[in-house]
Amino acid sequence: MPPHQDSFRQPFLLRRSEWALVLAIVVAVGLTALLDANHSYATRPLESLRDIARNTALLGIFALGATVVIIAGGIDLSAGSMIALSGTVCATTMLALAPVEMMGFKPVGPAVVAVACAASLLAGFLVGTLHSWLITAIRLPPFIATLATLVGLRSFARALCESATSALTPTKSALVNVADPLFKTVRDNVWIPVAMFGVLACITWLILTRTVLGRHIGALGGNEQAARLAGIRTDNVKWFAYCFGAMTAALAGLFYVANESVSAPVNQGRGHELNAIAAAVVGGCSLAGGVGTVPGTVLGAIFLRVVIDAVSKIIKTGADVYEGLIVGIVVVMAVTLGQVGQMAKGGRKLLPGSLGLCAIPTLAILSGAIVAMTAGPRAGASVAGASVVLLWLLRAWENSRTPASSM
Amino acid sequence: MNHDNHEVKKDAAPHAVCMRGITKRFPGVVALEDMSLDVRPGELHAICGENGAGKSTLVKILSGVYQPDGGTLEIGGEMVRFVCTRDAEHAGVAIIHQELALVEELSVAANVFLGREKRTALGLVDDRAMAAECAQLLESLECRIAPDVRTGNLRVGDQQLVEIAKALSLHASIVVMDEPTSALTESESARLERTIAKLLARGTTILYISHKMGEVFRLADRITVLRDGRHVRTVNRADTSPEEITGWMVGRKIADRPASAPRVRGKQLLEVRNLCLPWPEHPRGYRLSDISLSLCAGEILGVAGLMGAGRTELLETLFGAGQSNWTGDILLEGRRVRFLHPREACDRRIAMVSEDRKRLGLFPDLDVAGNVSVCSLHEALYGGLLSRSGEDALVAGSVRETGVKTPSLHAPIMGLSGGNQQKCIIGRWLLTRPDILLLDDPTRGIDVGAKAELYTLIDQLCRNGMGVILTSSELPELLSLADRIIVLAEGRLTAEFSRSEATEAKIMAAATG
Ligand SMILES: Nc1ncnc2c1ncn2[C@@H]1O[C@H](COP(=O)(O)OP(=O)(O)OP(=O)(O)O)[C@@H](O)[C@H]1O
Ligand SMILES: [Mg+2]
Repeated sequence: MPPHQDSFRQPFLLRRSEWALVLAIVVAVGLTALLDANHSYATRPLESLRDIARNTALLGIFALGATVVIIAGGIDLSAGSMIALSGTVCATTMLALAPVEMMGFKPVGPAVVAVACAASLLAGFLVGTLHSWLITAIRLPPFIATLATLVGLRSFARALCESATSALTPTKSALVNVADPLFKTVRDNVWIPVAMFGVLACITWLILTRTVLGRHIGALGGNEQAARLAGIRTDNVKWFAYCFGAMTAALAGLFYVANESVSAPVNQGRGHELNAIAAAVVGGCSLAGGVGTVPGTVLGAIFLRVVIDAVSKIIKTGADVYEGLIVGIVVVMAVTLGQVGQMAKGGRKLLPGSLGLCAIPTLAILSGAIVAMTAGPRAGASVAGASVVLLWLLRAWENSRTPASSM
Repeated sequence: MNHDNHEVKKDAAPHAVCMRGITKRFPGVVALEDMSLDVRPGELHAICGENGAGKSTLVKILSGVYQPDGGTLEIGGEMVRFVCTRDAEHAGVAIIHQELALVEELSVAANVFLGREKRTALGLVDDRAMAAECAQLLESLECRIAPDVRTGNLRVGDQQLVEIAKALSLHASIVVMDEPTSALTESESARLERTIAKLLARGTTILYISHKMGEVFRLADRITVLRDGRHVRTVNRADTSPEEITGWMVGRKIADRPASAPRVRGKQLLEVRNLCLPWPEHPRGYRLSDISLSLCAGEILGVAGLMGAGRTELLETLFGAGQSNWTGDILLEGRRVRFLHPREACDRRIAMVSEDRKRLGLFPDLDVAGNVSVCSLHEALYGGLLSRSGEDALVAGSVRETGVKTPSLHAPIMGLSGGNQQKCIIGRWLLTRPDILLLDDPTRGIDVGAKAELYTLIDQLCRNGMGVILTSSELPELLSLADRIIVLAEGRLTAEFSRSEATEAKIMAAATG
């Protein structure tokens, strides 16, 4: 049946859901430009762009790692701690090699910086190896193995920082300042992390779509037992995936150190692993494994940062307070919208039975509370009321469309 | 049986199932077009058709899995519209799916009663009552599966029996069986047939899909033939013959396989001496005990045996896919080997088509091309990168060779019919051009015409110097294909026959003995 041949081929450039993300990004940017009282997109476009680009690149770099791990059927919860560890390894290495310059906030020289960065990436490789060993040899579920390193690595990074500072400097400290001009250059030139992100995205895309290894990653994520029986060395594929995940996090950690001119293992990258996973999921990855694309994740990361930026521009005060909330809502919305077509066709309901009944006030209280906190109690109350009415109408419409199933 | 009753009531009683003008489309395919079907109450109605003819789609509509794009459905004279399988269960329709749908982590009893768990007086789950009733159901199927074992630990044949028990536990008035015996050997099928007789005696209506003509002609009252999603005709079993049915199925006459010249045996490829595979947690103590066999180039070695006899374990051990704590010798072209991973076996040009395509074969997220090419991707490399066109060329050849029916090379594999999925997996391994091909029940779910083509293909490959070890749940298949047949019973090798000596009776005696 050759006429259908093309309908199954991968569409040009992006899939449908990815074009939808592009559209969503454009809409988010447009809304911000309209609703922002300071009109910062119009008055200071370059500055805004630089901000978003930097944040997107930093998130995107290790979101690519998360994507590979997720497609391989795993999960890496430890990326945030890996970022902290990578920064600490980099800073303490420089401290050990050039203590006088580091303490005097003087340049340490490119050779020392190169060694320190290599040490960080090596740390990423080792952590990735540890993960895959725990998962393949000890047979821990990936969630548990990386949950252990999520808490363990941060504590390890802090201990490393404190023992290194107490041994090499007069005072024990939980952070190390990094003042080398090379790091300053990276901080002041946004194109460097952006270019790094772009190159890494291309490499990842090439690996996933055009190499045997990439095909094996997808196969492993889809059906591990079948992959083994097809002669795929699944343990090695996992090893690659987790090392890729940890090393991209290590790379991101270096950029965080440059950005903040300090390595602070207590807080650097805290919670970021979830943003990376969120970017991948918004971009179309399935946590069941086997499904996901690089363009999807890149767009997912951009979308996430654009929305966070939009809210901080529109709400002004305490935007970081709402960051988690926004990420949460975006993830739920993105995955829900991905299924809307399917729902309409399969006759599935959004608000079924008594669960749906209880979901109506839950959603109304949530939306009302958010609006009340940002725009005052009056607005909150009316939004809550409107939500109840709208959801009730939706439920009534759903019930009228498909009568309670025949018994 | 109570056949006469029906003849009398035929006009008075409403049809058990009445489908009118049912149409179902999937992206790129019309699975069913204007399909009508009447099933009389209390009859066993067989449905035949090639792979992809639309049989499973038809019964999935009947059991609420799919909603039709058009047409009407009546059960017992009442118009119904099923939104989900629960609706169908309430209307008295139970289905045994072709693709097994059990929760691997749960026990057998929990699977049988999934969603309808029994409760104690306190409202807690009553495991004991469920286990007891489940044991009874399995008893009535005459099989020895403990209700409390983890379902994922069962072989596919046993899982099929659990599916059957699950459908029986519903006490439905209409039972739909979609290839229930595809993974069962003769004696398990015979038990199922006895159960079916009991159901019919109780007045249950049965819809029965099978590619095994013998079964269909033993069991059916009437037979409906589908071709390309359309109804071809419905006939009384007594008025037709298997040849006529297959003729309608494919729309032409299938040429009988020409009595071919005997194959020439080449050099010895594989020798197994005193192979033992321990099984400490089982009273028997071993999965395989003292197996010796040999395989030459250009030869097909058949392995017969009941379920649980160790056929799959034997093949998995040879392929390096099972446990590696076996003792004895495996010699490949005279040299000792011990494969610890299937990769090592692949590197020595061994291929294996496993019995359970869904769990051990398919990659649900890859398309047809990805599934077929996964073992031979290195042939589609140009400068270290995969070439799409190279891969497509590779796959297109294979798809043509094995006769896969698919709307596109890039269609999702899970959209293919069961038999076509199986052909994709066979094609995957043939692409690796193996010296030794291990086939574990390779024609499971493949239609009559395609089977004949596959036999010819295997025969051809053998003539070109490949050695094949074949297991099958169908003895006629082994008898017609294999040069020699070894018989396993409870992990031991109990007999070896040459082609001329072997008969079904002798093999059955050795397999149960
Ligand atoms: N979920 C689906 N998505 C897309 N196409 C489908 C789907 N299910 C079935 N089809 C298509 O519908 C057609 C009929 O499939 P069906 O599974 O009913 O065949 P079948 O007669 O049961 O074959 P078999 O003997 O191999 O089991 C096939 O061409 C198949 O590709
Ligand atoms: Mg089918």
